[in-house]
Amino acid sequence: MIVKIAFKNIWRNKLRSWVVIIAIALGIFGGLAVISTATGLSKMRQNNAIRTYVSHLQLHDSAYLKYGRLDDTINQQADIITYLEKSKKVKGISPRLKVESFIQSAGGTSGVILNGIDPEKERQVTDLAEQCIAGNFLERYKQKPPIIISQKLATKLNARVKTTIQCSFTNNMGVPITGIFKVVDIFSTSNSMYDELNAFVRLEDLQHLTSIQGSHEIAVVLHEEKEVEQFREELISKFPNQHIASWRGIAPDLGYADKMMDLVMTLFLIIIMLALAFGIVNTMLMAVLERKKELGMLISVGMNKRKVFWMIIWESIFLALIAGPLGIFSTYLAVNFFGRVGIDLSFAAQGLRSIGLESTLFPILDDKYYVIISILVIITAILSCIYPALKALKLNPAETLRTA
Amino acid sequence: MIKVTHVTKTYDDGKVRVEALRGINVEIKNGEFTAIVGPSGSGKTTLLNIIGGLDTPTEGNVIIGETNIAHLSENQLIDFRLNHIGFVFQSYNLIPVLTAKENVEFLMLLQNKSEAERDERTTKLLKAVGLEDQINKKPNEMSGGQQQRVAVARALASKPDFILADEPTANLDSASTANLLDIMYRLNQEENMTFVFSTHDQRVIDRAKRVITVEDGKILSDIYA
Repeated sequence: MIVKIAFKNIWRNKLRSWVVIIAIALGIFGGLAVISTATGLSKMRQNNAIRTYVSHLQLHDSAYLKYGRLDDTINQQADIITYLEKSKKVKGISPRLKVESFIQSAGGTSGVILNGIDPEKERQVTDLAEQCIAGNFLERYKQKPPIIISQKLATKLNARVKTTIQCSFTNNMGVPITGIFKVVDIFSTSNSMYDELNAFVRLEDLQHLTSIQGSHEIAVVLHEEKEVEQFREELISKFPNQHIASWRGIAPDLGYADKMMDLVMTLFLIIIMLALAFGIVNTMLMAVLERKKELGMLISVGMNKRKVFWMIIWESIFLALIAGPLGIFSTYLAVNFFGRVGIDLSFAAQGLRSIGLESTLFPILDDKYYVIISILVIITAILSCIYPALKALKLNPAETLRTA
Repeated sequence: MIKVTHVTKTYDDGKVRVEALRGINVEIKNGEFTAIVGPSGSGKTTLLNIIGGLDTPTEGNVIIGETNIAHLSENQLIDFRLNHIGFVFQSYNLIPVLTAKENVEFLMLLQNKSEAERDERTTKLLKAVGLEDQINKKPNEMSGGQQQRVAVARALASKPDFILADEPTANLDSASTANLLDIMYRLNQEENMTFVFSTHDQRVIDRAKRVITVEDGKILSDIYA
């Protein structure tokens, strides 16, 4: 009966109850929407970085990372590649030769990292080929060795497809080396800073130019992202002389962003719950104060204070039980819809690109947040109506009955 | 039997000290139909509240049956009220979200009575107050007189030793007042139910078998009709 009365009580003032329910639901929706958007942005940035330039794992010769010398290539390359190719966890590998170079066209100059790549293998680890405007990922060329540069670099060099480019660097002996390339395509990734600093040529062309066999870097992409750290440990134990880093180590800012996002989400959850708590305290306090006389009557006729207390608690639980699923379900629908369709942020595309983001955002919300929010809503509802319930217990029945 | 001995009640908020009752002694036997009358501020409601265990006396004893309720704790008083005292209030004070049947049934639920017993007694009581056709109506769908009759049925539902009615007819028209008094008088006659009223209403006073007049916190007169 107490539960029944409590449920009926919340519908006494339908408008007020619905305002509170909608406010709580909107609070939950808003909070979860922000969390899912932030998660989507973080994941997009992370995925873009992994897809575009970081990959899941990178192997280098330790000396190369320390001194950056051209001849510090990976000394066990053949063994490593064989091992990686045999592993079922590995989706793709791409050896790269990297040279810091001065790039020059008739229209301008710049500094770049010249990446010697095997186009076919690079396709397995990055989506660079998909970012090429003409779809020529160093595959079609005539006499001059091909090069692809970014849109940003092309603008800087005043270059376009078919423009001849000159790349200069010095080898370990200090001997200047110059290579002539022809631009065969122009790419544009979601990271403008990366674009400006990188150009791509065929691995054999760069090996020929530098007279260096092998590569400085092997990029590895696994089938499952969650296996990265475990596989890294496996590689370290197998090839202890190589420097093997996961994407978290290569681009620590992405890992920090992940941790930061967890912190932000916790803060958001606290804010949502505080807003919910204040909403319930306010409503229940009003409901108690409005019903002083009735509560006094209930105590007068023999309803003990424990039952009065639980009646108020149940009223609050009912408000939360209606608002919670409403907010959570609407969030679920919105996240699923926009998770498929995406949110168009093209109006801010340029700004987003400068921080490694695309212009279509796909919100993501881990299932655990629905469970966490559900539990927190109930706990908050119970905790926040304790004060109004205690207020009800302090009522003096004789006094409340005197108030007309 | 209700036995009030040497009861005083003083309200003192630190600034103003009011002596609402000054040494009241009164006995009300089972089956009485008693009206406590007096001008506003005379102390009649305070006396009724103390008899009903809603307020505690500053001094003195209130013995109901064999229990001195002046010495009960707050929780014991609540339980005592539930099982021994029926209340009828001036402004009905029904639970607005419940139907007439549910309002009457409410106290029996608090007493953990079985569903069968609740149903039987609720039907009987609503019939006794002439509302057997209104059982599913909510208070706001009934007239003031009907609501007060539901309140009487509710007061009787817990099988109390007596019923305290604080100005029960104050908000009723003449016809409803007469009807309500008839019902209470019949319950008094047929079931020997004790009624104690606090009232200004001459129509109630006229029907009472005993009239206790309180003034300035003292009993001025105690007259049996």
